[in-house]
Amino acid sequence: MTIRELFIDAEAADHPQTAAIRSRLAVPARVVPGPAALFEEVRAADDPAGRGKQVLFLTRNRGAFLKACPGTRHYTCCGYRILHVGSYCTMDCAYCILQAYFHPPLLQYYVNQEDMTRELEECFSTPVIQRIGTGEFTDSLIWEPWTNLSRGLVQRFAAQRRAVLELKTKSVNVAGLLDLDHRRKTILAWSLNTERVIREQERGTAALGARLRAAAAGAAAGYPLAFHFDPVVIYDGCEAEYREVAERLFAAIPPEQVVWISLGAFRFMPDLKALIQRRFPDSRIVYGEFITGLDGKARYFKPLRIQVLRSLARAIREFAPHCCVYLCMEDDEVWRHSLGFVPAERGGLPRMLDSAAARHCGVEEG
Amino acid sequence: MDFEGEWLAAAPLPVPVDAIDAEELRFRITTRSDLEPLAASIGRLGLLQPLLLRAAGRGYTIVSGFRRLAACRQLGRREIPARVLSLAVTDACCARLAIGENALARPLNLIETARALALLTATAPDGCLPVEDAGALGLPAHAGVAARLMRLERLPAAVREGVQEGAIALAMAEELGRLAPDAASAFARLFRRLGLGLNRQREILSLVTEIAAREGRPVLEILTGHELEECLLDPAADRGHAAQQIRRRLHRRRFPAIRRAEEGFETLRRRLDLGEGLQLTPPRDFEGTCFSLTLSFGSLEELLELRGRLDALARNPALSRILKSKAEGFAPDPPPAGPRPPS
Ligand code: SF4
Repeated sequence: MTIRELFIDAEAADHPQTAAIRSRLAVPARVVPGPAALFEEVRAADDPAGRGKQVLFLTRNRGAFLKACPGTRHYTCCGYRILHVGSYCTMDCAYCILQAYFHPPLLQYYVNQEDMTRELEECFSTPVIQRIGTGEFTDSLIWEPWTNLSRGLVQRFAAQRRAVLELKTKSVNVAGLLDLDHRRKTILAWSLNTERVIREQERGTAALGARLRAAAAGAAAGYPLAFHFDPVVIYDGCEAEYREVAERLFAAIPPEQVVWISLGAFRFMPDLKALIQRRFPDSRIVYGEFITGLDGKARYFKPLRIQVLRSLARAIREFAPHCCVYLCMEDDEVWRHSLGFVPAERGGLPRMLDSAAARHCGVEEG
Repeated sequence: MDFEGEWLAAAPLPVPVDAIDAEELRFRITTRSDLEPLAASIGRLGLLQPLLLRAAGRGYTIVSGFRRLAACRQLGRREIPARVLSLAVTDACCARLAIGENALARPLNLIETARALALLTATAPDGCLPVEDAGALGLPAHAGVAARLMRLERLPAAVREGVQEGAIALAMAEELGRLAPDAASAFARLFRRLGLGLNRQREILSLVTEIAAREGRPVLEILTGHELEECLLDPAADRGHAAQQIRRRLHRRRFPAIRRAEEGFETLRRRLDLGEGLQLTPPRDFEGTCFSLTLSFGSLEELLELRGRLDALARNPALSRILKSKAEGFAPDPPPAGPRPPS
């Protein structure tokens, strides 16, 4: 979806970032005293989740930029930290949790990056390895056409040795990053899925081939890479199609440049179901065999998750036997039966990922 | 309201039955079609309340009294007492009179209420519901509620009939209204036949629509397929049994892997031969990893006896099979040897 209007929080109106974005985004702009009226307008739209993708609100982040990943105690979390640069997305995936997560769902970009830099500097001074990503509340690279956000972040991370930045995307917006001296402290990451899932569920995202070409360009520029098979969707023939994606991935990318690959079976908050049914009436994604997980989310019946995750993990191992493959939000039983081990045997998932980051990106503790 | 004068001025006259256009149903509110009790009463006591008609060319149209006319016809009456409104009385006035005669005399059912509201709206000069008049006539005066009710009027006949007889609640009628008319009618027929409560209706609606979406087939095809037909045609099955069969079949089709696992677990649990006092419960939806075993006893002797059975239970191969096969969905017997998970 394209942005049609720009709303500027009066408190952010004089910020140089605001001026820079205005000069690059040729849409009508309005300065507003605060978010209330805009929130109301988006809420009142027939399709708030769609309307929220057409208006961009430039504002200040009054909370923390760095946040802990919202894992739950029932399933193993990766211990990631989220860098909250903005929220929501211009692409439109049927399963996107952000449609239901924000009230209202609205594109927001935080211009007060001087505060973000301060928080990052503090974080860099902690003597432990940190894995930080911008792709949790938004797609990391949708902001590239109008901002220098990721360029700045890549450079900032290049200047330290304890933290890695993961930029996760379904876009191909990497051109502006390829010439940077990244020092392997930024991981370029793509969410991958089968052609069918991309076609039927991921409106406005880049095609699989385009994502892989962009990843190959990142690899050629020396970036460490990561891939996320998330959400893995179960349908007739899915295992063969996921295998094919793995095959295409490693035909395009040298396995030794891949830091990690995550696998996450489709799961969703119950509220999302009605929203998907309304916004994506042709999508069948919510009609799988779901149960209510221990965290209250709908999840595929466990034996089905195990079967598809095991088959995909096998395919990946076939092409990249030494790659760090992990599961997103699964318990030990699923780990054991799909990957053949549990995280505790390797020091826990955060430890596994820290080691992979140390190996590929040269980050170190102390 | 401006019709009081007209109404009072119209003294009852005998009107030839054949001069009344019984096909013009515009002002009809009632959904009742049973004539016998009314005909019997008229036969014994005469028509106590005259019809209300409006002059139309050489004859009359009915404003109120559709059933009374039909009953008199059935009794072979040639003339019938009626008050006659002049041609100049507006549709809006006639609508109010028709509604008033019905709504103020007895409680209207949902379909009659919907008709009354739709009639008020259709005859209003601006095409909008006159909310205050609706309230004065005993109809819902809230625009939102009225709009919901009026949508009933546009539903297929089978759904309306279900609402009328109380077999389909307004909430369900609205859900059915979102489906194709043929599918909505098929659901309505099924619900009326099975006499299900709202929650069960919702369960069946959701199972069928989700199966249709999952399998890429029309809803009607699932509803009228032989799988459900068989349950309805079984002469030995009463309504409750048929409903249970239908739900079971729909569940199996909607959640085949889950059903297989439930059945596999049951088969294995039976092999444990737990007997009295021991109960094995799996984690909910087989998602967690802990099974629980409940011991029920009333004396020390019973507890000691259970302890012995516990030892035997722990050695029972079916228990080990339950624990080992959980991740695969409880296939009661081990699968043939295949490739191992990657390590
Ligand atoms: S790309 Fe990611 S953030 Fe954007 S709509 Fe899809 S799932 Fe949501």
